[in-house]
Amino acid sequence: MITENKIVTAGLIDDDEIFTYGFNKLTVIKGLFNQILNFSNGQEAIDYLLNPKNSHNLPDVLFVDINMPVMNGWEFNAAFEEIKSQLGKNITIYNISSSVDLDDIKRAKNCPVVTDYLLKPIDEAYLTDIFNSLQNPADVRRYN
Amino acid sequence: MSSEEHKFSGESIAHIARIIDNINLGIWEYNTDTRQAKWSVGFYTALGYAPGEIECSHTNFFDHLLYYYDRQTFLKSTYHPRVGESPVAHIRLLTKQNGYQWFESTTQKHDTADGPVIYGVITNINELKLSQVRAAEANYKSAEIGRIAKLGSWEIDVATMALKFSDEMYEIFELHNRPTMSVEEAIGFVEPQYRPLITDSIDQAIKFCKPYDVELQFRTAKNNLIWVRSKGVPVLNNYGQCVTLRGVFQDIDSIKKKGIRLQSSINLLDDQNKRLQNFAYIVSHNLRSHAGNLKFMVKLFEDTNLKEDRTEIFSHIKTISDSLSATMGHLDEIVRIQSEITKERKLIDFETIFNNVASVLHTNIMSTGAEINTDFTDCPQIDYIPAYLESILQNLLTNAIKYKHPDRKPVINILTRKVGNEIYMTFEDNGIGIDMKRYGDQVFGMYKTFHQNSDSKGIGLFITRNQVEALGGSIQVDSTVNVGTKFTVKLV
Repeated sequence: MITENKIVTAGLIDDDEIFTYGFNKLTVIKGLFNQILNFSNGQEAIDYLLNPKNSHNLPDVLFVDINMPVMNGWEFNAAFEEIKSQLGKNITIYNISSSVDLDDIKRAKNCPVVTDYLLKPIDEAYLTDIFNSLQNPADVRRYN
Repeated sequence: MSSEEHKFSGESIAHIARIIDNINLGIWEYNTDTRQAKWSVGFYTALGYAPGEIECSHTNFFDHLLYYYDRQTFLKSTYHPRVGESPVAHIRLLTKQNGYQWFESTTQKHDTADGPVIYGVITNINELKLSQVRAAEANYKSAEIGRIAKLGSWEIDVATMALKFSDEMYEIFELHNRPTMSVEEAIGFVEPQYRPLITDSIDQAIKFCKPYDVELQFRTAKNNLIWVRSKGVPVLNNYGQCVTLRGVFQDIDSIKKKGIRLQSSINLLDDQNKRLQNFAYIVSHNLRSHAGNLKFMVKLFEDTNLKEDRTEIFSHIKTISDSLSATMGHLDEIVRIQSEITKERKLIDFETIFNNVASVLHTNIMSTGAEINTDFTDCPQIDYIPAYLESILQNLLTNAIKYKHPDRKPVINILTRKVGNEIYMTFEDNGIGIDMKRYGDQVFGMYKTFHQNSDSKGIGLFITRNQVEALGGSIQVDSTVNVGTKFTVKLV
């Protein structure tokens, strides 16, 4: 089956500069995602999503770190739930963190807007799967 | 009917003799001149003998039957004036089978033709006497138990609301003249903040038959403040109404104070434990994210062949290595706080310590044009660990300068205050402030940063709080965004 590959834009919300660099570099090396939007905290991302100028360049997927200044991952999840319906696009949310605290994992998984909780350092294969599923929406799988 | 009719005088002697012999009493007679003794059948029976089984004589009575210890008592009761009540003596007599038993003896003197005669009656009162002895023992024991346990008992008669106290109650109240008190008067000894509790408990017990058990602070008549436990149990009538409220009242001061001390050390341990757990969690999180990044960078390094990529990746690896060292340094610092508590405290001048800190931060103060006002006049000195005070001041001052408001030069006011035995230091700035609603509970947390400031590490205030608390103090923050922040440190 031949399908025309969709352009996939990812957003990374993380204050960790090294992780941000690595994430961007990895996607270039592996040829994942066509575009990456970088935000250093939740508030920046919310501001971007709500700005009408960006309505034609919204991400398909957002990777949201938990520990961040200004607006952390939990606050972003809540804020995103509020604005979700105003956005002209269905955006998939993944939380990413190095916290192995079971409470954090449960909290993320119980959040209705969050698809999954990914442990840092990020698993390349899983990231590739996420990209593929977004590129070809027919091939939808659940990862838990 | 003549007034003499109720007397036996008209009866025949034989009839009276029969009555005397059959009656369940021992009757005896002794002629002090002839030394002749007579015992009734009842006398023998009372001692467990058949009539005539033992020798009826004065010597037998005195030397064998009467317990030697009771001789004086018995003799005393025979020397009495001929008029008036006949004296009663309690004596022990040896019975045939049951050893010594208690008897009540009444004696009368009478002059007959044969000479002066003493006669008397003995009744076995052993059961009564023993139960009296037992009751006295029980009373003594319960009084002793009350005294040892500092436990008093009381009773309220619901109909009259009359209050009755046991002896030990008065001991606890330290009221040695033992006055009768009303319920309200007794409640008056309870400290004001506990009065509603005890009043309600008594009301509920009487109205709804609800027993209670409360602990109260209590001020005795001699003005000693003690902890007491008051327990009340309603006594019900057949209709289920409370007719009497009965209870105990115990001085639990020493137990309660031990308990309070124990609770406060448990709270302290609990706090320390929580802080340690939080600390371990944060450190592990911090180390884990560095380790994760390191692994990530190494992987990328292997995945790329581009020289410029490798150079950049390597520079990140160097950054991670520095961050790891910094985290280890924070760890050392926190562990050191705990080990330094034992270090000697010294009497130090706030002024001296402040000058040291100001000279360390001289460049920052100058470059920001910060104005620092200090007032240590109310409390110029403190007994403290010098390194801690220096560190606390330096952290607060660094923060005040770092988080200055972009539109104005920093103005910082530091002052010390002595309140009783406690020493406070307030530290106020006009900086950008912290959103207390969002971050109030995180200000002193580790690796918590609230501003996009590249040199914020979220370690300073965490260390400060640990230092303050390690020496038994506390730190509080109050802040308004765009107005400023005020730290109040209770040093000791």
